[in-house]
Amino acid sequence: MIQTAVIKVDQLTLFFEDYPEKPVLDAINFESMAKENLLILGPSGCGKSTLTHCLNGLYPRELDGKLTGDVFINSKSIVEFAHGEVSHTVGVVFQDPETQFCMFTVEDEIAFGLENKGILPSEMGKMIDHVLELVNMTPFKNRSITTLSGGQKQKLALACILAMEPDILVLDEPTANLDPVATLEFIDTLDQLQQQKEFSFIIIEHQLDGWVSLIDRCMMLNNKGQLFYNGNLRDGINAHRHTLEQQGIWIPTPTRLALNIEHQSDYTFDHLPITVDELAAYPLPTPVSSTRITKSNPLALKAEKLTWTKKSTPIINEVDLSLYEGEFITILGANGSGKSSLSKLIAGIEKPTKGSTYLYEKKLNEWKERDLRTKIGYVFQNPEHQFITDSVYDEVSLSLRIRGLNEADIKERVSLILHQCQLTGFEESHPYTLSQGQKRRLSVATMIVDNQSLLILDEPTFGQDANSTKQLLSLLQERNETGTSIVMITHDMEIVHQYADRVIVMEDGKIVLDASPTALWEVPSEQLLNWQLELPVQVKLDQRKQKDVSYVYS
Amino acid sequence: MYIHNLNPSIKAITIILSVLLLTVVFDPITPLLFIIWIWIITLFVAKVNIKKFLLFLSPFLIFAFGMFWSNLAFGNEPTNPTEVVSFWGNNIPIENINTALALSLRILAFASLSLLFLLTTNILHFILSLMQQCKLPPKLAYGILAGYRFLPMIKDELGLIRSAHRVRGINRAKTLKEKMHQYKRFIIPLLASAIRKAERTAIAMESKGFTGSRDRTFYRQFTVTTKDWLFLVMMLSVLITLIIFAWQIGYFRWYTGEI
Repeated sequence: MIQTAVIKVDQLTLFFEDYPEKPVLDAINFESMAKENLLILGPSGCGKSTLTHCLNGLYPRELDGKLTGDVFINSKSIVEFAHGEVSHTVGVVFQDPETQFCMFTVEDEIAFGLENKGILPSEMGKMIDHVLELVNMTPFKNRSITTLSGGQKQKLALACILAMEPDILVLDEPTANLDPVATLEFIDTLDQLQQQKEFSFIIIEHQLDGWVSLIDRCMMLNNKGQLFYNGNLRDGINAHRHTLEQQGIWIPTPTRLALNIEHQSDYTFDHLPITVDELAAYPLPTPVSSTRITKSNPLALKAEKLTWTKKSTPIINEVDLSLYEGEFITILGANGSGKSSLSKLIAGIEKPTKGSTYLYEKKLNEWKERDLRTKIGYVFQNPEHQFITDSVYDEVSLSLRIRGLNEADIKERVSLILHQCQLTGFEESHPYTLSQGQKRRLSVATMIVDNQSLLILDEPTFGQDANSTKQLLSLLQERNETGTSIVMITHDMEIVHQYADRVIVMEDGKIVLDASPTALWEVPSEQLLNWQLELPVQVKLDQRKQKDVSYVYS
Repeated sequence: MYIHNLNPSIKAITIILSVLLLTVVFDPITPLLFIIWIWIITLFVAKVNIKKFLLFLSPFLIFAFGMFWSNLAFGNEPTNPTEVVSFWGNNIPIENINTALALSLRILAFASLSLLFLLTTNILHFILSLMQQCKLPPKLAYGILAGYRFLPMIKDELGLIRSAHRVRGINRAKTLKEKMHQYKRFIIPLLASAIRKAERTAIAMESKGFTGSRDRTFYRQFTVTTKDWLFLVMMLSVLITLIIFAWQIGYFRWYTGEI
């Protein structure tokens, strides 16, 4: 039996009007069969989202630019579909949970797609109940969408699409904005759904961990919008390991560990492992875990009995905290556990209802705002929120100007900082025109230019690809080595494992653990799950090996 | 819950017709009696919480009182200066009092009518009904709904941008000029993210098959029944009865453009 492709992309090339010389997608060819799950890998800015828009029929209709080649859905060219008809075959779940909905309640939102499709109202009720049951969200039927968590919103987005019964789902980084546990839950939901309903999916992701077992085939795009591999994920990683690293494409963490081993110890894997189990199967010596020297540095900041209530709901509840100079601290915890709130309180951005914070033994509210900002830097989650001026140079020099330094000093200082943040050459660019990674580094640059001794960052690696994450972290590490204390809110356990010398775990507005990372790894797994934390791959690997050893000797 | 369950479009039409009818009337008695009637409906039939109602009404009360006072103080030269009432030692022409009362009471009547609608109608239901009964184009209707969802997000974001700028060492604005300048700085990041959000939402809506055409079904269906027409007829006949009543006791006047 010859199977026809659900989606066939034929020599798809696309230019945007603003950049007629550089194609966003360059001669892409691929087919997607029924019951086949496809992964599309690529660095940020490789045209992944553009490809999504080509698959759901938005382009060429809404395109300001030129498109050549063709996309066929069930052997019918996409230009022959009536407006809106593609959605009956191809459904899309997008990245941002906040902007996918236009109605107020869960049931209305699911009904919206059905209404567009022209389903009879008398049949909608049953269909809505059915898809809610599929994604385990029946109790939320009448809830207002704004009261849902990010993970629930993404499951709702999935339910909305499923209700329309498409043959194929396109998932455009659906878990990029979710915490690790919500991510796993989303992947699990999808896995179970595939056992109950017939559909296949195309997943576009750069954070791969968790998806590997669901994937049948993988395609890799480079930053020129060209497809350079189409086939088995394992073979692809094996064959293109160098390209992947070079392009900053996210590869599974166990694979990355294996690649590190290759770099460090002249060893070449014939087949790169892509799961923890596979990596553990290699007879490699357990690396000596680098125990960091516990520093006994002077106290920088001390918070006493911090309490913050908003509209009579306690957000932060009697928190005591001491930060020492030169520490690298990560704050962990589920969404809504109070991480951001605590960080804003100790940075003096928000005022606590009760309790007080001392910076160098002086109460925060006794500091002059301007002086305080030369001591504590705070990097917000969205870098654009912090931009004030029209050029990168002005942006970095702003606080120096406020302090009244002379131009020559400013120039020297700014060029040094720009160099450290790898932004040299962009002095005259408008901050908004930078790439995601550059925006992030610029926002950090503005916060270290005064040599702030404490730098607080709210999920700085969020939405960054592998390369920019690496650049950001090495920048932070450099600062840390010169004595800056770093406090970072993150969900990325690999960062915790690699960089932190202290972890703070928050739950319901309280600090439930304040210890070294090594102590965190020894916490029972049920407790970690409760805190919505996952062990980093290296730790999982070490624990696996220890188990094997004890198994052999027992 | 009779008022709550009325068809929102018919309710809106009733309110609009009442307002139009009230604008041609210019005497204090008709709006006064009609206001009392609206309040009775709002508080006892629709059972709107009285505290909530007064809270919403209070700015209009203040405005209406201001209107009343300024009309007394700066009223036109009366045609009949002999008919006066003494009030706190001042002689005020009855004519001016009538004009002031008529103006302020009609403001209150408009406000009360609007509140009767706003406090008993779900915005989603209103827009859905406008699409189904009044042929509002879905493109516009769903655009309004999506935009309405953005309002709280924009508010949160403004708070974030404000503190993000403070962290940059920009001091809190004190003078009006500084404040203007500050809001100008907020506007760019706010607009940038609003445009991006709107675009994403539009794309998400399209990929759920939304085309903006009228050819769609509705999960929540709104129909017009006898009870809706009954409401319309009842409200208008009460108002007309009041106008006739005012006429008969000799108070009625057509509106001729007084302010």
